Amino acid sequence: MRPERLLRLLPGLAFLALLLLALEGAVNAGLIRRALMPPPSAIWEVLRDLVLSGEVLGPLSATLRLVFAGFAIGSVIGIALGAAMAWWAPAYRLLEPLVEMIRPLPKSALVPPLMLFLGIGDTMKITSVALAVTFPVLVNTLQGVRGVDRVLLDAARTHGWGTARALWHVVLPAALPFILAGMRTSLGLALIIAVLSEMLTGQGGLGFLILDMQRSFLIRQMYAWLVILALVGLALNALFAWAEARALHWQARTP
Amino acid sequence: MAILELEAVEKSFPARGGPAMLAMDRISLAVREGEFLSILGPSGCGKSTLLQIAAGLMPPSAGTVRVAGRPVTGPPPEAVYVFQQYGRSLLPWRTVRDNVAFAVEHRPGISKARARELADVQLAAVALTGFGDHFPWQLSGGMQQRVALARALAAEPKIMLLDEPFSAVDALTRLDLHRLMLELWEKRGLTVVLVTHDVEEAVALSDRVALLTKRPSTIARLVETGLPRPRDAVEVRETPRFLELRHELLDALLTRHAPGDGHAA
Ligand SMILES: Nc1ncnc2c1ncn2[C@@H]1O[C@H](COP(=O)(O)OP(=O)(O)O)[C@@H](O)[C@H]1O
Ligand SMILES: [Mg+2]
Repeated sequence: MRPERLLRLLPGLAFLALLLLALEGAVNAGLIRRALMPPPSAIWEVLRDLVLSGEVLGPLSATLRLVFAGFAIGSVIGIALGAAMAWWAPAYRLLEPLVEMIRPLPKSALVPPLMLFLGIGDTMKITSVALAVTFPVLVNTLQGVRGVDRVLLDAARTHGWGTARALWHVVLPAALPFILAGMRTSLGLALIIAVLSEMLTGQGGLGFLILDMQRSFLIRQMYAWLVILALVGLALNALFAWAEARALHWQARTP
Repeated sequence: MAILELEAVEKSFPARGGPAMLAMDRISLAVREGEFLSILGPSGCGKSTLLQIAAGLMPPSAGTVRVAGRPVTGPPPEAVYVFQQYGRSLLPWRTVRDNVAFAVEHRPGISKARARELADVQLAAVALTGFGDHFPWQLSGGMQQRVALARALAAEPKIMLLDEPFSAVDALTRLDLHRLMLELWEKRGLTVVLVTHDVEEAVALSDRVALLTKRPSTIARLVETGLPRPRDAVEVRETPRFLELRHELLDALLTRHAPGDGHAA
């Protein structure tokens, strides 16, 4: 990491450390009940053991599998449907009412009915995640493809590019900044729905563990898993930002 | 022999809450193989529309367009259109080299590597050797226009349709591009149709100049320049014939442009 970037992060990190210290002090001074909020140092010990013993890996990979599979499937469907709706008017007229019906619905509410059909296994969880991912990607792809400059399309036509290849080599790259913005929104949703479906089904993964520890009154463990979940979110965002910057490396740097 | 023919071509655009707006009224024009023809007219008279119809990018409301004897229903392989908005016509995510390769890489039997080789040849022809790895936004307007020209050349067209390609660059760059365009036209035996509102540009480069009226546009005059070939785009401006034509066309353009004269033409 470059020194300037580190310098910019410094105040925020220092503030975070200060808060943790204050919490530690408040718990030790008896201002907060230890049973509800153990001191950060105690949570840290549990966290360290979870990581060092490798116990963290199973639940972590279970949740990440849901997130990645659902994200990939939902993104592909969202891009395909969004591009079709933008490109081909009959597809738009056919799908628009359906999309507008489902889009505003919090996708978390669809987990219970999906459980009826798909049970409580990974199929149901991945379907739920994919469903949540699809809509932001779809709507952004629709907008992005619609906004592609006419001049660019005509340039492809005058150079003899057929429609299908122009769609792949001109339209989708031109719409990519929009598509990626939708995918960034969806990535956050993917994690939410993955954790929620784990809680509702009571099976495996980080979401289930957080709920299970709370019910078993293993409070330190609960907080430790919560910290792990926060780090997962952070890492996913960083990974996506990195991939996005690479995919859009050609964009002119605006001063 | 005519390689590009327009026959009674009309174009009207739907207008909001009224009758359709007639932009172009029965234009007929035969472009000879190998000639350099300019279409001259005031802004908004329908020059871009006419050229896009000729390029098969826009259907006419009536009339027919033929390229090499065949009726045009879509962009014909013989012709390439170079956009007035050249900056917007380049793919911003591609390097300059890959933008030029875009003209040929989709053709059967041409590998990506071969397309890039061909692109480098055309970049050399427009004096952009060494800029292949740049992105379009890193280049000046004049250089971007040369990328667009290189891309069109890479397609090895018989006909180049140029829509005000030199109007958005400074005067010196424009003269530079004029020379380049004449050189390319002479070397490659192209047929060029150039749309412009610049009288001097039209006269200096062309064999013939078609003067358009205001909307709805028709061809007011078709002038044979009779200027010598090969010619230098700068030196030709000092010949008496050039000055005579410039005077004549400017005069026609200004009177036709005058307020209230819209129907007299
Ligand atoms: N797609 C369109 N819809 C409606 N009107 C148009 C369209 N394209 C061009 N026009 C109108 O047709 C006329 C000719 O436009 P254009 O060919 O761009 O002129 P020029 O290139 O000579 O400046 C203008 O009045 C313009 O507003
Ligand atoms: Mg124009």
